[in-house]
Amino acid sequence: MIRAELTKLLRNRRTWGTIAIINALPTLVAVLLAITDLGPRPGTGPAFLAAVLTDGTLFPLAALAMVLPLFLPIAVALTAGEAIAGEAQQGTLRYLLVRPVGRTRLLVAKLVAVMAFVVVTVLVVAVVAYVVGVALLGDQTVTVTGPTTSVSGTPMSTPELVGRTALAFGYAMLCMLGVAAVALFLSTLARTPLGAAMGAMTLLVASTLLLTLDAAQALHPYLLTRHWLAFVDLFRDPIRWDDVVRGVLVQGAYVVVFLGAAWASFTTKDITD
Amino acid sequence: MTRLGRWCAVAVAASLLVVAPLVGRWLPAGSADAGPEELLATARAAVDRPWSGSAETEGTLQLPDADRFGTVTALFGERTDLRVWWRDREHWRVDRLLLTGETDQVRDGDTTVEWSYERGEASYSREPDLRLPRPADLVPPVLTERLLRGVGPADVTVLPSRRLAGESAAGLRVRPPSPLSSIDHVDLWVGEDSDLPLLVEVYADGEARPSFTSRFSDVSTEPPGDDVLDFEPTPSTDVERDDVLDIADAANQYAPVRPPATAAGLALGPASDGAVGVYGEGTAQVIAIPLRDREAGALREQMAITPGVEQDSERTVVTLGPLGVLLTGADGDGGWLLAGTLTRDALEQAGRDVSTGFVFVEDRR
Repeated sequence: MIRAELTKLLRNRRTWGTIAIINALPTLVAVLLAITDLGPRPGTGPAFLAAVLTDGTLFPLAALAMVLPLFLPIAVALTAGEAIAGEAQQGTLRYLLVRPVGRTRLLVAKLVAVMAFVVVTVLVVAVVAYVVGVALLGDQTVTVTGPTTSVSGTPMSTPELVGRTALAFGYAMLCMLGVAAVALFLSTLARTPLGAAMGAMTLLVASTLLLTLDAAQALHPYLLTRHWLAFVDLFRDPIRWDDVVRGVLVQGAYVVVFLGAAWASFTTKDITD
Repeated sequence: MTRLGRWCAVAVAASLLVVAPLVGRWLPAGSADAGPEELLATARAAVDRPWSGSAETEGTLQLPDADRFGTVTALFGERTDLRVWWRDREHWRVDRLLLTGETDQVRDGDTTVEWSYERGEASYSREPDLRLPRPADLVPPVLTERLLRGVGPADVTVLPSRRLAGESAAGLRVRPPSPLSSIDHVDLWVGEDSDLPLLVEVYADGEARPSFTSRFSDVSTEPPGDDVLDFEPTPSTDVERDDVLDIADAANQYAPVRPPATAAGLALGPASDGAVGVYGEGTAQVIAIPLRDREAGALREQMAITPGVEQDSERTVVTLGPLGVLLTGADGDGGWLLAGTLTRDALEQAGRDVSTGFVFVEDRR
């Protein structure tokens, strides 16, 4: 069943269309930077964007900072929201469950497919951004003037840069898993995939808005998007683990609670579609 | 498992996960063993001991946003995340963390390096006698030491202990000894394990909420190693060497004036050996910086659009919480910028004293 779900995901043209759209923004930004050679003013723009003008190998991180707050979670919410509600809307959910397959197994298969979408999307962003970054912005820092400079101004060797970049992308995948868990739960409740995706996106917008309000400070540690950009801390020297660890714990909590809720909802749901 | 049982299991898991982060805060704070005098001495001494940690400052003071004072405006009007490694007053590193990078200051004896990730630039400068406030001045132990200058045991009362940065902390309320201070009181808590000030809150007259807060979220008393205190620029870093650190340092070195010996009855401090004057100490202190026409003009324009400003042909003045800012002179003139924690009357008097009492260097030398 897991293989069937993965095959369906990878053969779906919409999957690759979504990934292409996500990659369009960083690619456009790289082209504009290469043409104008104009970086953002200090304190503005996504993280690492100022640094990519001299070191294109950092462009995957700038691309991650661009797509992580909005594009990536919307894509994940749409895909995860489709998982159960999509089958129900098409009237195929009843037929799926007629087979000797437990509902928990079906839910796990859907979850694995969503996770695969997250992993593939994030990896494609990393690869495309690296190729575009090096091709358009160059890798002068590594090859000509020495090692890459960390956010704290200290030298960072190429293996270190690769290792920390891998950690950053792994962290981003975990963050998107939190979104996927919420959307999957809503997908077991909603009658349409759009309803489930909109529900998850409402939570994201609310989380982002509440983070700007001092009056909501007591809620900040629990908000889904609170630590998403903490991956920048992996490039400080010494690495600042506090927010990354908190981010992992918060995303883990969302995954546990909302996957649990999805399981409780789906395994006891009356299937009429 | 029944439908109800499944939802109960989810509800229990969610409740535990919501409550878990709060457990540390609910631990009771111990009762303080030390008296006010001992706590004062402990709080003052922290600046001469090694420590490191993460700190957060938060100000509500919306200062005029003039170019040359941009960092100061951000420090007193926004939330700032800091990482600090402190060996002693002359060897430390303070990182100002931003979502888009960081700006670090590293002091090594008489030299200070400022590293900006977004500019890819390291600026070396000598440590000046007088300068504008910087992040290192606002971490709890350093701010505490400054605010406690001139404070005696009679000026403090004990506050209930709190749990802060993972330890029990004894509280003190400090009432400014000088009637000229615009600060109503300063509340501070000193960690009973670390012996470091962990939280400092500065309250203006009549304000229920602090105008400025500085706190540690975690702290260690392990001495920081050379690996974090040594700054070596990478080959791709633009390295600059500056003769002046900021506008106060520039004015102090090059302005051909000297401030008067007193202002509003406060004596000129020992650090004032150039054009810039620092009067008073601790909770009642004001700095007077001479500005040229163009710098004064830009600042006057920004002050003019600050809520609560008062302006006439003699001066432009605005009070923001406990902080008063006054610029002498009118449009087209240079002037003296005075900023500090003085009452409005005292600040106005200091402005008049400085603008009428300063001398050109040629008159003295």
